[in-house]
Formats: sequence, structure tokens, C-alpha cells
Amino acid sequence: MASRPLRRFRFGRALRASEEGRTILEALVGERLPALVRSVRYHRPRAAFCGVGFCTGCLVRVNGRPNVRACRQAVREGDRVATENSWPSPRFDVLGALDALFPRGIDTLHGFRRPAFATRTYQRVVRRLAGYGRLPDHGAPAAGIRPPTVLRARVVIVGGGRAGAAAAARVAALGEPALLLDRGPGPGPIPGVEVLPSTTATVLSAAGPGGGDQFTLLGYSAEDAGVLVRAPAVIVATGSYDASLLFEGNDRPGVMTADLALGLARGARSLPFRRAVVVGSGPRALEVLSALGPRACAVSAPGGIPPELVRRASELGVSLFPRSMVVRARGRSRVRSVELRRRGSGPTDLVPCDAIVLAHRRLPHHPLLFQAGATMVWRPLSRGYYPALDPSGRTSVPALFAAGSVAGVAPAEAAASGVAAAEAALGRPRSGPPSTPVDPGNSGEYDGYFEELLTQPRRGKWVACACEDVLLDELEAASGRGYRGLEVVKRYTGLGTGLCQGRYCVPDALSVLSVLEHRAPPEVGYLTQRPPVVPTPLGSLARLHDEVGGEVVP
Amino acid sequence: MTLERDRYRVVIVGAGIVGLYTAYHLARAGAGPIAVVDRGFLSSGGSGRNGGGIRQQWETRSTIRLARESIAAYRRFGSEFGYNIWFRQGGYLFLAETPAELDRLRAVHDVVVAEGLPSRLLSEGEVGAHVEGIAPGAVVGGAYLGSDGTLYPFPAVWGVYEAARSLGVEVALGVEARGVSSENGRVSRLVTSDGSIATDTIVNAAGGWSADLSRRAGLDVPNVASRHEILATEPLKPFLDPMVVRRSDGLYFSQTMRGEIVGGVTVPHPPGTARGVPSSPRFLTSMARALVTLVPRLASVGVLRAWAGFYDDTPDGFPIVGEDPRLPGFVHANGFGGHGFMLAPAASRRVAQSVLGEATDLDPREFGPGRFAAGPAGRAVEGLQLG
Repeated sequence: MASRPLRRFRFGRALRASEEGRTILEALVGERLPALVRSVRYHRPRAAFCGVGFCTGCLVRVNGRPNVRACRQAVREGDRVATENSWPSPRFDVLGALDALFPRGIDTLHGFRRPAFATRTYQRVVRRLAGYGRLPDHGAPAAGIRPPTVLRARVVIVGGGRAGAAAAARVAALGEPALLLDRGPGPGPIPGVEVLPSTTATVLSAAGPGGGDQFTLLGYSAEDAGVLVRAPAVIVATGSYDASLLFEGNDRPGVMTADLALGLARGARSLPFRRAVVVGSGPRALEVLSALGPRACAVSAPGGIPPELVRRASELGVSLFPRSMVVRARGRSRVRSVELRRRGSGPTDLVPCDAIVLAHRRLPHHPLLFQAGATMVWRPLSRGYYPALDPSGRTSVPALFAAGSVAGVAPAEAAASGVAAAEAALGRPRSGPPSTPVDPGNSGEYDGYFEELLTQPRRGKWVACACEDVLLDELEAASGRGYRGLEVVKRYTGLGTGLCQGRYCVPDALSVLSVLEHRAPPEVGYLTQRPPVVPTPLGSLARLHDEVGGEVVP
Repeated sequence: MTLERDRYRVVIVGAGIVGLYTAYHLARAGAGPIAVVDRGFLSSGGSGRNGGGIRQQWETRSTIRLARESIAAYRRFGSEFGYNIWFRQGGYLFLAETPAELDRLRAVHDVVVAEGLPSRLLSEGEVGAHVEGIAPGAVVGGAYLGSDGTLYPFPAVWGVYEAARSLGVEVALGVEARGVSSENGRVSRLVTSDGSIATDTIVNAAGGWSADLSRRAGLDVPNVASRHEILATEPLKPFLDPMVVRRSDGLYFSQTMRGEIVGGVTVPHPPGTARGVPSSPRFLTSMARALVTLVPRLASVGVLRAWAGFYDDTPDGFPIVGEDPRLPGFVHANGFGGHGFMLAPAASRRVAQSVLGEATDLDPREFGPGRFAAGPAGRAVEGLQLG
């Protein structure tokens, strides 16, 4: 392997070096996944969890800028990387004592009211527990926030995976200008397509200022330059991501999604664990098992384990725990073992491990579709919302299309769904067979799962929303007081209001509330997906001010 | 119908902070069976969409008095209602970017001081001491009152809701008020999406939807629903104590107990409730421009989410409180212009007094529903509406 040039940076007081092109997280990962930050309420140690820039596990301060996701930011020469919301360090944090002092949490809604004279003192203390990073050290100098990019295209494609790349290529092949935005490195050059890598689309409005240009899309680039795209047609191919799972200690360092584990297996020199328990039984679990090889020690799945996964596991000498639920990750500063309970009140197995990799469920990354007003439908098997589509990938919003896994299309058909959407977006006849969105869920393995999970004994905190440290107990308390529906419980508890915008907590919270309220998940409701899709720097939006213009009054 | 009876002494439309507080005051006074209906879920309207600011700096003494009484109520909220609303008296700071604006703030300051509140006029340097990172030269001065503050609106709604219910008030959510029937010139029924309810008193506390309801009752009212947008940033460690406001563009922002910067700026939208409450790219960029220009250090801070709600505006900036002289039994508790949370505890006491036929201390030329019939000449105006 050809060695790449080294980039030197500071982590706290230590001088570090890393190969060019690696992320800060990859540069910091060694034998273990380091705790990089403490959580907001209980100062629980947190390490990278999602690996795709949504969660709060790897927030660091870089060159005086707070709340930078170490998993998304490449190391640059001379970077000063610091930890936040911990003293003296994320590993040994004085306020971490709160977590042990209040094993079942602090009731900030009803507590702290007496004696009244102490209110101001309480407020000062509680206020200190809020927030992650401190105010940025400096503003953007004139050169810091670059001029915005303002573009028009016949079709804009959001997401450069298989579906998005195929859609863009098809638009170009049909002789129309295509623009593709990708949050990551993108698909590489495609003839006839303008590709903007490292560009995150965060706001999609179907009300543009001009007649023909129906959509206004806002976003930002890696250097905080604002991006404004106007286009008469949009294809959303934003893909999917690995879900979280509710159990005691699911926020401990070492619990991670398959997105993170596979990303580290590709990008980092070594994996930061030795014995990983893989959760799941589908193709994703197989992919993880193959990538981890001898570092996997067990597979746990809520239902049966299919033969190909059994075969691969036996090749690797991995133990199998079919029909099991993860009930508890043991260990405080990192995972040391996991308790797996056999479904139907069976025995509990204690499996020593230093990582738990969640590969049980993929979720569509759909906020942009919700935001633009597309009709979304509940798919009971995968227990998630997908856009209502015709066979060409047309949503309920005119000229808005979805393709690939965000549309519920199987990976093998992703490219074909992109081609179909491109042709439909241009009003051309379809060249291939209709794409067939499927319900990618596994049949019924989560039936009764959450009913059973809620009856498990709780010794410590069951964190339902890691960004805001909202506990399962709080969801139950809200429900017990008669507050029903996800929108109301969100406002009552704060669940889903943190930096990940509910991506990781909402899916399981929906299942929990469905059990508590004795009604099906669609009746529990969903959260309004508000813009922006991911936190968007004020500076990049500010620079777009003169370009955006007013809305068309319908 | 989710209500238990078919007749109530009072039916309140709107389970926001004004409607619930009114129900609470009425129930405490033993007014008889009370029902509250709301088209949405709890806190789905303006009471769940506001920035949580509570201030006593107003242009008119009557508004200052209501605000002052409300602040006292919010200070004791925790012991009265059992919920923490985290009412934090970090002050309200009005910015003046020109000497002329400073003169206007001085006039407000004089009224506030005359009411016995220790408002202060600040120099540019003193403003800077309150707002870390403010751009040099951005202001020439400001006005500040330290006992103003911010609260967390949701628990205030839960607290009053639970207290009202424990006093026997029934609350029907997801029930839309569609019309008002009258007999012999007096209110007789409220027609809803879920049947009709017999009552001789209807309180219109429907916030942004209040004009719709008044018109359905056959009353011509001047209220206008206007959509206002707001955003929250990623949570930061606490650095900003006051609510910072600027009259020229309606900018306001504060840092919540959770660390988010929450605020808005005025962006014109067509009036009325028909278009719902979407967020607009125009607002996001306008607010970002305003914040980053004033506090450049916020440039790299991310916007976490944006939302919108309705103000219920009146032409003179005063709310409408009291029984409508044209339709006995129809009591207004609306027109708060986006400032209902600030005035709710005090204003709703007067609403309850009106319902009970008691005299209130409100000047009907400022707050009365009949004031618009006489035209604007000679009437006071409360011009310090923001956002």
C-alpha cells in the first residue's frame, strides 16, 4: 500500500499525525474507540456511534469551532482538535458523577421547585448541563465563508449512490443538464453531469420564486459555502442508514451502527475492538460479519438466523443467538459484555465483548421527502415510512421523484429505479421494466419485541434519545399522565429534538409508544420533519440571502 | 364527542395558554362545568411555537401592568402548578442601531420607569457586555430590563392543563369549532367537528384561528393571522443571558435552558391561516444574515430546525378581551399579536371576570371588543409588537 503524506494535528496537548484524507475520527481511533464527549444531562461518556455525521457521539472542537463531527471532517495540517462538555477530559469527567448519583435520572419537569429561594441556583446548575460546545472562538473572516454556489439544472439529483448516479447518467444521456449533490465523496465523474461532492442538501422547498423553476434547494459545502439550486425536477436518492436499538446501555462507547463499523473497516488502519457482537440477521449482518472476520464473536437476532449467515458464522467460529433480544450492555466507560435474553422470557446469556454492532435494520433517509410535502406511507414489515410512489418513482408532489433505498427499492434494483426516475422526470418513455419498491423488512421478527422489551427489569438508564439524554422511563411517565402521540411526547420529554433530529430515537420510540398507547404506529403519528435536514451553518445561509428571493404566493 | 356532558356553563375554544389559564381561573371561581375544545393536539398552536420571551417593556402603561402581573405569576408557577417552566430572568435587551431608535427606546424607557420598573438605557459598551461577540459598531446603545426573561413554554401548557383538569375542566383535543348558534340574541351552542355543545358562553381563545371563529359567529373583527417563522440552532454552552431584540427588522433571539439560540425575524407572508405553517428559505437566510451580521461568531453554528406559527394581530397592538357587545355570551380572549404567552396569566384573569359578569380594570378603549366600531381616532396604540 502506497503511503500517503502525513498531516500533523493537535489533539488536546498531544501532537498527532495521520495520513492525508482520513477523518479526525479515523485518526483518533486506536485499540479502542475513544470517548470524545459527554452527554448533555447526565454527562455519560460517549464515543462515535453512527459514523455518518448525525449523532452526538463524536462532537469535537476544531480550530475553535464547536460541534464538529469527527467522523465527517478530514484532518488538515495544523488542526487543533479539542474535546468539549467534559472536565478534565471525556474519560474522567467530574460531572459524570451525576450519572451515578441519579441512576434512574433527574426529573427536570417536576423536580427543582422547592425551596423557591433556590430556584436561581438550580437554574444556573441545570443551565450548565445544557449544550455541547462553547461559542465559536471567532467569526468567519471575509474569506472564511466562501461565496455561495448558485446553480440551475433541468434535473437535480440528491445523493450519489447507485440510484442517484444511474439517474444522473441517464439524464445526461438523454441530453439534458443534470446536477448531482452528494454528502460524501460522490460517485466520481459522470460524463455530462455536474457533480458536487461534499455538498449537503438540507432544505427543499416546492415553492420557488419563478414560474418554471419549481424547486428551491439549499445546502452547504464542506467549506461552509452556501449552495442554492433551482430546478424544475428533483430526484431524491438519499439512501438509507443503520438504525439504533433500545436497550440498557445502548449509548455506551463501543455500541455502534454497522455504518460506523464498516466505515472504520474501510478507512481506519485497525478496528477499535476485538470481540464484537453483531445484531441482526439480514444481508447487512452478513456484510458486517464478513468485514469483521475474526473480530466478530457472536450474532444475535430477534428472529431466526438464515442459513447463509449460519454458514458464514460457523466458518468464523462465531456463536449464534437466534430469537434473542439485547437487553443490556454492561460497562461504564466502554462496553465489556452484553446480556442477551431469549425471546419468550427465556434464559439470559452473558457474552463478553467490547463492541456491539447494530446491523438489524436499515431505515430510509427520507427527511427531504417529508419536508417537500411528499405523501409518506407506513410499511408495517420494515416499520418505517416510505414515499408513496408510482412505478416510475414519482411522489405525490409534482416533479419530485425518489429512487433507490430511500424509496424502498432493493439494492439490486437501485440503478434501474434511478433510470426510471430520470426518464419520468424528463417526460420520456420508460426504457426498462417498472421498478418495484418492496417492503425490505424481515417478516415479523419484531412482532411482540417491544412488548417484551418493556417488561425487562431496568437496573440503570435506558436511554431512549441519546442526543438529549431522554430515558425510557420518561416516555412511560408521559404516557402515564395521558400525553399521547409522538408529537406530544416529543414536546413533553424532548425526545427527538437533539442534533440527530430524531433519526436514531424516533423509530424505536414509535414502537414503544405503540405498545404504551395500545394502537398501531401510524396512529401514534410521526414528527414533522422540519428544515434543515442536518444542522446548516448560519454563515452559509447568510451568504445566500441575496440570492433566495421571496416565495411565490399561490 | 369526547366530552361527557351536552351542556356547559362555559365553552372555551383554544387549549393554548390563554384558553387553559382562563379555564383554570373560571374553575377556581367555581363557575360550573367548563369545556375546552381545540382543533389540534396540546401545544400545537402558538403556545407551542413561540420563543418563550416574557417582557414588561411596552409603550403603554396598561400593557406593562398586565405583563408585570404575568411575570409574578410565572415566578410562582412551579409551586402553583407543579411544573418547572425554567423562567429565567436574564433580561430583555432592546438594541438601537441609530440615535433616532435610541430616542424611541428612551420614550419606552420613561414609561417603564414611570411604572416603577428599573429599566436602564445602555451605551454601546454596556450592550456589548450583555452580548458576547457583538459586532463592533452594530449598535449605538440599547434599553435593558433585568427582570424580563424567558421560559420554556411546553411545561407551562402542561401545568395549567393538568391543574384545570384536576378542577374538573374537560378538554377535548382534535375537535374543531365550526360555528356558533344563538337564540334570542345570545350565544346558545358551539357547533364543532364532533357535534354541537349547548352553552350560553363561548370564549374565543383560538389564537391565529380566532378571526375565523368570530366570523363564523357573524362578527366582523379586525384580527389578522400572520405567519411568523422561528429557528433554533445547535445547543451551545450558555453564553447569552438576555433576550436580544431589535425593532427595525423584528429580530429577536435568546439562548434557551437547553443551550439553543432560538429566535426569529420578520419576513412578510400573505395573511390568513389557509396556507398552514411551512418554513421558507427566505426566512432561513434572512435570519441567518441578521444573526451573523450582529454576532459574527455565530457563523459556524448550525441551524438545527425551523418552524412557524401564527400571530393573531390587531390594528392597534392591544389584545381583545371581553364580551362582544354585538353578541352577548361571546367573549374574546384573542388578538395577542404573538405575545399571548407574555400576558396570559394576567389577561386570562380579566377574561374570567368578564365571563362571570364582573367588572375588570381594563380600559375598554384599549382592550374592549367594541373599540373598533369608533375608528382609530383618539385611541391609544401599543406599537411594541415584535417578531
